[in-house]
Amino acid sequence: MDDGDYSVTWLVDAANRGDERAWHEIVDRYTPLLASVIRRFRLTTAGAQDVAQTVWLRLVEHLGSLREPRALPTWIITTARRECLRCVSDQRRVLPLDPQDPSWLATAADEADPGAELVRAERHEALLAGLAELPARQRELLLLLMADPPLSYEVISQRTGIAHGGIGPSRSRALARLRQTAAVTHYLSGGDDHDAAPLGRR
Amino acid sequence: MMQHHWDDDERLLADLSEAVGETAPLADVIADYGSGAYAWRTVERDLLRASLSFDSSLERVTERRGGPDDPRVLTFTAAPLSVELEVMPDQVVGQILPPGAGEILVETADGVTFHVQADDVGFFILPNVPHGSVRLRCDTAVARLVTDWIRL
Repeated sequence: MDDGDYSVTWLVDAANRGDERAWHEIVDRYTPLLASVIRRFRLTTAGAQDVAQTVWLRLVEHLGSLREPRALPTWIITTARRECLRCVSDQRRVLPLDPQDPSWLATAADEADPGAELVRAERHEALLAGLAELPARQRELLLLLMADPPLSYEVISQRTGIAHGGIGPSRSRALARLRQTAAVTHYLSGGDDHDAAPLGRR
Repeated sequence: MMQHHWDDDERLLADLSEAVGETAPLADVIADYGSGAYAWRTVERDLLRASLSFDSSLERVTERRGGPDDPRVLTFTAAPLSVELEVMPDQVVGQILPPGAGEILVETADGVTFHVQADDVGFFILPNVPHGSVRLRCDTAVARLVTDWIRL
């Protein structure tokens, strides 16, 4: 269970010391979270890529200042949001507002209920940051179970090496672990650190 | 403690699945940029890291200050040195503070680099606006610094 199970703190430290494999593991784990933040801003494809590149490049130089596991997802979310806002500002300066442009229509649709969209985004960010905290094997199992189109248990068994009959119990354990991650417990406590302790379910 | 619907495995997995599914179209290209970024890691110990401490384009969005045609102003700070940039349509003017001569190396993430010289009062000009992610290395009598990566 623990092979390839490096803590986020260890990965950040190792990547900062020059371990390129640790960096790739960080990228692997946190790409869905970064993608989720960027997606909300409905940037052009080029804009989304520019933001992603800038966030990763800047993270490489900021590894030394992140020691606590929860600091990493928070840093990614904050930096990506700022870069997206800059990008939105640039696009508004450069592009005339065309009401027929589907990307603007999409933005308008979201803004019809910005409260609901924000709640949804925070829920997704908490789950994706939690997923990033899971040990590699549990994360891989959950990703396979969520594949679209769905994969059969036979295929999942082959890819993970977990016996067919073990997939159900492993799935339960992975989800239980997800509930216990710092990101998810923090979210369920209403984001208030003072409430985090009574929610610990160990 | 209140029951949360994530106490149920099926609901938790459904919400997670929705979150992951929506990121799928962007995920591969974002991961590729992530992999490439590590090659730019700087290892010099005596190099100051100058963080972006002010960006007028962000003020414009969040506080609706300034007009859309005002030049964008950026400040990078790494005590004892800071660098200010003003982004015009066709060039970027910069100022090293405290004022003093220096060598500026402009690095872009697509691999293009070029040098410009800051004059005796720390003023310099980039003759065009670099595209994509970019950062500046400044070598002065006071210190050597590298700025955060930004898009101009």
